[in-house]
Order: sequence, then structure tokens, then C-alpha cells
Amino acid sequence: MTKRQVVLESISALLIMLFLYASVSKYLDFDRFIGEMNNQPFPNSWTPFLVWTVPSLEIAISLALIFERTRMVGFIASLVLMSLFTIYAVTILLHFFAYVPCSCGGVIRKLSWPQHLVFNLFFVVLSVLGIILQRRSSFKSIFITKNSFV
Amino acid sequence: MKKIKFMIMTLAIALSIGGAFATSPRQSQDCQGATQYYFNGNYVLAGRIGIDYICVTPSSSVCTYYKVGTTYTPCMWGTYCTANCRASNPTPKKAKK
Repeated sequence: MTKRQVVLESISALLIMLFLYASVSKYLDFDRFIGEMNNQPFPNSWTPFLVWTVPSLEIAISLALIFERTRMVGFIASLVLMSLFTIYAVTILLHFFAYVPCSCGGVIRKLSWPQHLVFNLFFVVLSVLGIILQRRSSFKSIFITKNSFV
Repeated sequence: MKKIKFMIMTLAIALSIGGAFATSPRQSQDCQGATQYYFNGNYVLAGRIGIDYICVTPSSSVCTYYKVGTTYTPCMWGTYCTANCRASNPTPKKAKK
């Protein structure tokens, strides 16, 4: 196992932990999650859609990150989702909306919004790093396969 | 190599799911299973969380209390909010000492 592979596996593991923990926490405290979703600055009619989509998407990303074949899709989806969460945190910090509560699962909900922003940015950086390393290792494996035919 | 990969992934999955269960309110705070009250000068029944009210976080004030004998003990933290929680900044309720 090369150094790059170790880093790649560690990044995947960290993202899996984040998404699985967040989604399972939401399902375990579903009533509260619905209440907090209703309290977000978007229309309450979106709540039934969002309360099922967000945790399901998080589980789907975790699954994609587990398997080598789908890992790249997982990293890209993770980058998109974490970027959306980051943009949302920024709009809240810029007082775009009136007071908005946190809608995260488990202990993450105890973070303040600036802490949230740093936390999200960390995982955005991890996702970008994952994409770069995954691309490099994919190119490398293609190169090795091509050379083995020569 | 596959063995190490498998171990890392198994550990990540086990830690995240285990962590979610360990930090879930039902597991870590037995008080949430008890009848919840909020304080607005008197202790009043809070209702069902997520349906009748939510505790707006982050906030350092006490959202709901539960009864231990005759004493009301803080259970959940945040600002007690029943409706239009996003329309305005709800006033935090002060905890009774």
C-alpha cells in the first residue's frame, strides 16, 4: 500500500464517518430533525422532500466512497454537498436570513455557525484532495495497464 | 492491502453508526423520554418535540425541563420555540435557579 493509497483510504474513511454519522443521527432523532427543517428559511412544503433526501443522499455518498469503482463519484458528490452546506453557513453568517437554527445530526448540532463553517471547509478541502489523489491513482493504474501490454 | 482497506472501512462504518447511537438523545439523555416542561414564569407542559415545539440551537438557555420528584431539572438546551421560529429571533427563556 503506497503512501498515496493510505491517504486516499483515510480521506474516504473520514468522509464516510461524517456522512454516516450525520444521516444515522438524523434518523434516530427524526422528529427533532423535521422540526429543525421546518425552521429553516425555505418553505415548509419542502420539508417532506428534504428530510428524506438529505440523509439518503448522505448514505448514498458513504456507500459510493466505500467501493473503489464508485469512489470518484462519491468524492464529487461529497464536494457538491459540502459546498452547498458551506454556502448555506456563509449566508447565515452574513445575516442573509433571520435567526436560523442548526439542522445537523448528533453532536454536530452543538457547533456554532463560525465553527460550522470551518468544519464544512475542512471537509470541502478533504473532498478536493480526494478527487485529486483519486484522479492521479486512476491515471497511474491506466498507465501501468497500458505499459503491461507493451 | 485489501485486508487493510477492509479494516479501515469497517472501522469507519462501525465508529460512525456506533457514535450516532451513543450520542442520540434517547441513549445519552434519559430525560428526553420524560414529560417535558418549559418555563414562562410557571412550568408548563411543552408538548411533543418537532411537532409542538423545537429547541432552537445554538443557545445557552434551557429549552425544556423534566421533573425529578418535585424539582424541575434542565433537560434540553436551546430556545423554546413553537411557531414562526424563523420569522424573528425568539427571546430565550430564563432558567429558574
